[in-house]
Amino acid sequence: MSSQTAQRFTWLAFLFLLPTLLGLLIFRLVPIVGAFVTSFTRWQIFDKPRWIGLDNYINILTSPVAAKVFINTAWFTMIYVPGVIVLALFLAVLLNNSLKISAFFRGAFFLPYITSTVAVTLVWRWIFSTKFGILNNLLIGLGYSDPPAWLADPIWSLPAVAIVSVWKDSGFFMLLLLAGLQTIDPGVYEAARMDGAKRLRQFFDITMPLLSRSLFFVLILALVRSTQTFEITYALTGGGPNGASTTLAYFVYENAFVHFQMGYASALAYLLCFAVGLVTLANFYVRKRWTHE
Amino acid sequence: MNKNITLIALYSVLSLYALLTLSPFIWMLITSFKEPADLFRLPPSFAPTQLFTDAPFANYTSALTERDFSTFFINSLLVAACSASGQALTCALAGYAFAKLPFRGGNILFALVLATAFVPTEVTIIPEYLLMRGLGWIDTFLPLIVPSFLVGSFGTFMLREYFSALPNDYAEAARMDGASNFRIFRDIYLPLSVPALISVFIVAFIHSWDELLRPILYLNSPELYTVPRGLMSLVNEYDSEWTLFMAGSVVSILPLAAIYILGQRYVIQGFVGGGVK
Repeated sequence: MSSQTAQRFTWLAFLFLLPTLLGLLIFRLVPIVGAFVTSFTRWQIFDKPRWIGLDNYINILTSPVAAKVFINTAWFTMIYVPGVIVLALFLAVLLNNSLKISAFFRGAFFLPYITSTVAVTLVWRWIFSTKFGILNNLLIGLGYSDPPAWLADPIWSLPAVAIVSVWKDSGFFMLLLLAGLQTIDPGVYEAARMDGAKRLRQFFDITMPLLSRSLFFVLILALVRSTQTFEITYALTGGGPNGASTTLAYFVYENAFVHFQMGYASALAYLLCFAVGLVTLANFYVRKRWTHE
Repeated sequence: MNKNITLIALYSVLSLYALLTLSPFIWMLITSFKEPADLFRLPPSFAPTQLFTDAPFANYTSALTERDFSTFFINSLLVAACSASGQALTCALAGYAFAKLPFRGGNILFALVLATAFVPTEVTIIPEYLLMRGLGWIDTFLPLIVPSFLVGSFGTFMLREYFSALPNDYAEAARMDGASNFRIFRDIYLPLSVPALISVFIVAFIHSWDELLRPILYLNSPELYTVPRGLMSLVNEYDSEWTLFMAGSVVSILPLAAIYILGQRYVIQGFVGGGVK
């Protein structure tokens, strides 16, 4: 291509990209830098911001309240990530065929993911209701005379948020894994069957290694999501009781828009971003070494 | 024979799990058709009692009129339709530029569009809020529409892939005939990309419809509430009118369920196609 056409395309491309460039600059790049600068200030929204260096970060890393939030987030991750991945893998392997009925099941399992989060979270809130909820009444019917108070119980409220999140997201991860499974050549299984490999053997020796790329992708995505849960927490427990189900993203929201501590909240957000980045990098490193490309 | 038994066992397990997955929806539907007086009866019954009265849709009419859900619904529809069509258009333009109009720095810019999508909302929302306040856009629909109108990483990615797969010959032939670059885009490549555009539109529509944080931050007047925002304010204001809450929830799910049933292929393509790479 001559340099003259390349030149013409540059201007043309710039015109086509104008909205994207504006959006990128105003709603992404400037806020990313802005939040970083804000994180070194003390800023109650109605006052003037004051430069305080690393104080916000030091405060966060030494305060017991924030420590509780980090522990909650880790606990949530430990339920959510294995929950969605095991379920998604199980369903994807079972539904990896061209039967009509499997298409119906795939459709059903994906439904929670695309329906309105607030709406489905509210029905879960009603299901979890201590006295009149259907769940506890079923449990009592099954003989558990003293079921937990779920959303009002400091031990069970966070797992309840995680359960709803797993229920909502596993269908999505199932579809991602199904897309990965469909790239595996059926001939490989044929050959294994000829050699007399049992189903379970096939799963661990063929499916898992050949799916490792998709699995790592799903793992990263699930880890990232587990730090960002907001809507479900807001609609289910409001972070309560007494902060028992407050995780990082919700804590950022509370500090920024309930207490209006813009600097402190920005520092929290950056710590979250840092954690997400670290997890992603670690995963890519592991992936390079362990997965079957 | 053995194989049949395995299949039956397999599909029993799957059916059971499907029932479990769908049961919250079923319970939502049943509750939305209960008489309010039957809510707090123990043990809870599975009967949609209101269906057998003279006013079988009383909860729905009450939610839609007295509690203003019809307004929320129209607001959500407006916001989601504007955001999604804007996003589809912007992403089509950007995807086309990245795929068919090679220019220096294009790859770096594309990488930047993708990479910034991974920065958590929590980071950008605070400056965004301050910006919207500064612009005087609080309590309008603009903060819900304009950002998605201007940039969309997933859609740009998806449309770039789509346009890249289309041959360049069309453009060259049309250029020989003297067609302008914009006409080549509008009359040749854009019509060919309709399936991808539908997917981008649907994903953006669903995201916009589902959004909770921004409506909480930016909308103060109840007559501007979107459905999720309206549902939450209803729940916070009235403690346990679950028949109404569930009727409102069903209403808020209906358009999404309709889109899903009518265009399942596009929905799945949209959500998974953008995520696999």
